[in-house]
Amino acid sequence: MVEKQRGAMRLTACDPAAHALGLSTGMALADARARVPDLAVFDHDAKADLSLLSWLADGCERYSPACMIDPPVGLLIDITGCTYRFGDDEVRLAKDLKRRLRRHGLTGQIALGSTPDSARAKARYGKSAINALPVEALDAGAKVHQALRRAGLKTLRDLACRPRKAFAARFGKATVVKLARLLEEEDPRIIPRRHLPIISVTQNFAEPLLRTNDVLASIEALAGDAAAQLNNRSQGGRRFEVTLFRSDGHIARLAVDTGTPTRDPALLMWLIRERIDALSDPLDPGFGYDLIQLNVPTADILLPSQAGLEAKVDRSAQTAALIDRLSVRLGSDRVRYFEERNSHIPERAVVECAAQVGQTPHNWPKAADAEPPMRPFRLFETPQRVEALASIPDGPPRQFRWRKSLHHIVAYEGPERIAAEWWRRKAGHEHGKGGPTRDYYRVEDSEGRRFWLFRHGLYSETDAPIWYLHGLFA
Amino acid sequence: MNIKSILSMTDFSALRSNWNQYQSSESQSLLPIGAPGVDKRLRGGIIQAGLHEFFGAAKADSHAAAAFALLLAWRLPESDAGIFWISGDKERRTSGRLYPYGLSAMGGNPSRILLVQTADLRDALRAAADAIRSKAASAVILETHGNARLVDLTSTRRLALAAAETGVLALLVRGDAVPMPSAASTRWRICSAPSVLLPGNTPGLPTFNISLLRHRGGTAPFEARVTWDHATRSFFDTPLSGGLSAPVTNTEAGPQQRFRA
Repeated sequence: MVEKQRGAMRLTACDPAAHALGLSTGMALADARARVPDLAVFDHDAKADLSLLSWLADGCERYSPACMIDPPVGLLIDITGCTYRFGDDEVRLAKDLKRRLRRHGLTGQIALGSTPDSARAKARYGKSAINALPVEALDAGAKVHQALRRAGLKTLRDLACRPRKAFAARFGKATVVKLARLLEEEDPRIIPRRHLPIISVTQNFAEPLLRTNDVLASIEALAGDAAAQLNNRSQGGRRFEVTLFRSDGHIARLAVDTGTPTRDPALLMWLIRERIDALSDPLDPGFGYDLIQLNVPTADILLPSQAGLEAKVDRSAQTAALIDRLSVRLGSDRVRYFEERNSHIPERAVVECAAQVGQTPHNWPKAADAEPPMRPFRLFETPQRVEALASIPDGPPRQFRWRKSLHHIVAYEGPERIAAEWWRRKAGHEHGKGGPTRDYYRVEDSEGRRFWLFRHGLYSETDAPIWYLHGLFA
Repeated sequence: MNIKSILSMTDFSALRSNWNQYQSSESQSLLPIGAPGVDKRLRGGIIQAGLHEFFGAAKADSHAAAAFALLLAWRLPESDAGIFWISGDKERRTSGRLYPYGLSAMGGNPSRILLVQTADLRDALRAAADAIRSKAASAVILETHGNARLVDLTSTRRLALAAAETGVLALLVRGDAVPMPSAASTRWRICSAPSVLLPGNTPGLPTFNISLLRHRGGTAPFEARVTWDHATRSFFDTPLSGGLSAPVTNTEAGPQQRFRA
């Protein structure tokens, strides 16, 4: 692999065969070519490396939810408390990982350490003991390394037994902190790629699952476990994520959101089934799933409720369940409530918000008893342009043509004048720059249909105002 | 084997449940439209736990059919159960969206309405069936536009059975479509009618020409003109002539009187 670095093509990565020929990373390509004339060279692709690493990190979530990419070539996994599936044996976990990597034709240097830094250094220098690591493992810059080597300090063992104060005075505090981390005296936590779930339950299978029904059954079992844990915490999940690890490394993720906190496995299964039904590409078990994980990333307080003696229908729970179900199937933006916005422009005054978010109580204006509806019951999102004829300028329309049919107006009420939101415009406060005013008319045609029309602009504002149909009355 | 043993073997419980079915259809709760003339002909109103179809008389009357269906849903007593309005992207494009200020002006509470917008009719039918089956809704309105093969005897029967089971008022609005066999209890053709104009020659209250095309209970088809009064949340009969001289028979102040005052 080569990359242009500071004007020269240099090697950035070598395979074991190249190492055997005496090549190393950082060497100029010209020098390498001089040694090995028939060298196979490829361009370095940092993006592809990173995507491979993130793919590997996804796969490593089978071991622990806390995985972190350590660029350029490292991967850190926090396996604290995650080794129970391997008989509390870290070495067996490492062996399992190595076996899986080999299956994909990858070789990895796996090292175990009490801190991320020590594990990283062990893996990088291929040593199993910290004391045997060279001082370069400090990663403190060539000058520091050189100074240490000149002082005869070649390995970490030499550093570990000396007082730290002198190091801090000579090389700065950062070097000492780094040393402490390498020597497993201080343990910084890794920053995982994903938000750590509140509850995570997993089940792995000796024999990969091939049938969707089996997968669903095991998700149900996991949902029961998660529900028990949530119950202990008096919480209900707001989001549930199912990760299906296929034995060939492919990962499928399913996520369902709920409008209200829940820990009912039956409801959850209902939503997950909906989610699987709604998938654009169906679940492909391929060679089978060998590990299924259920995570609950967000949860809210949900106190246990007592069931009443009489069989009463809990409407709000039913509604929430139905909203969740439809939202999972159709997408949460397709199930909506009306919400009011502070605007007097008719189409801006109302928005529709996802019902899963919840409804804020509104007091919609009540109609006056002695007044017919002044607003249409249906509104066009973009007003429909019509050809209208008015008897006098700035007067009511006499007839208009909409969707190819002519409507003769027999009765009208108006105009109801609605000014433009001039404060939204640049220099809108100046005369004539506030935007066209709308003159709304409530009209009824000769066949008894009632419409809401407006003229966009007064004759004093524009020469040829355009008429629009904005809504339909019942 | 004598007759007694045969009689004892006959499954009377099955017979009884059959009989009960007939009985229950008699005593089903009816939703009165509010207009006495129409309710008298319907012998009380439309079946509340059933499916009703509303066709627009012409292409431009789809919204009248939708409005009539929605107003019927508002005839139901206000409860915590919502009204589901299910429509597709196509319907929203052709007839616009529901406008809450207009809905509240017609006497309803827009907060009760839950909008479900689907990509196609298949999803809409499925969502409607789910909404009817769950006990979350008091009324479910499914709006369709155009002649759709999916809205057939099978799919309407599914909706009708679900409605009968849960007691939900299921309303199917069919704009710009030709009536086809369906399992609906009633089928109506709706169009906008000239309103009784208010002083100053201004348009009046929502008025509809409704005609009953089909009734499962055997009511003969008829035509009527009704007007919606948002204050009482009910329809009232309007003379077909649509003249200003609507006879006021009630002694109490009817909507017409109130408006003239």
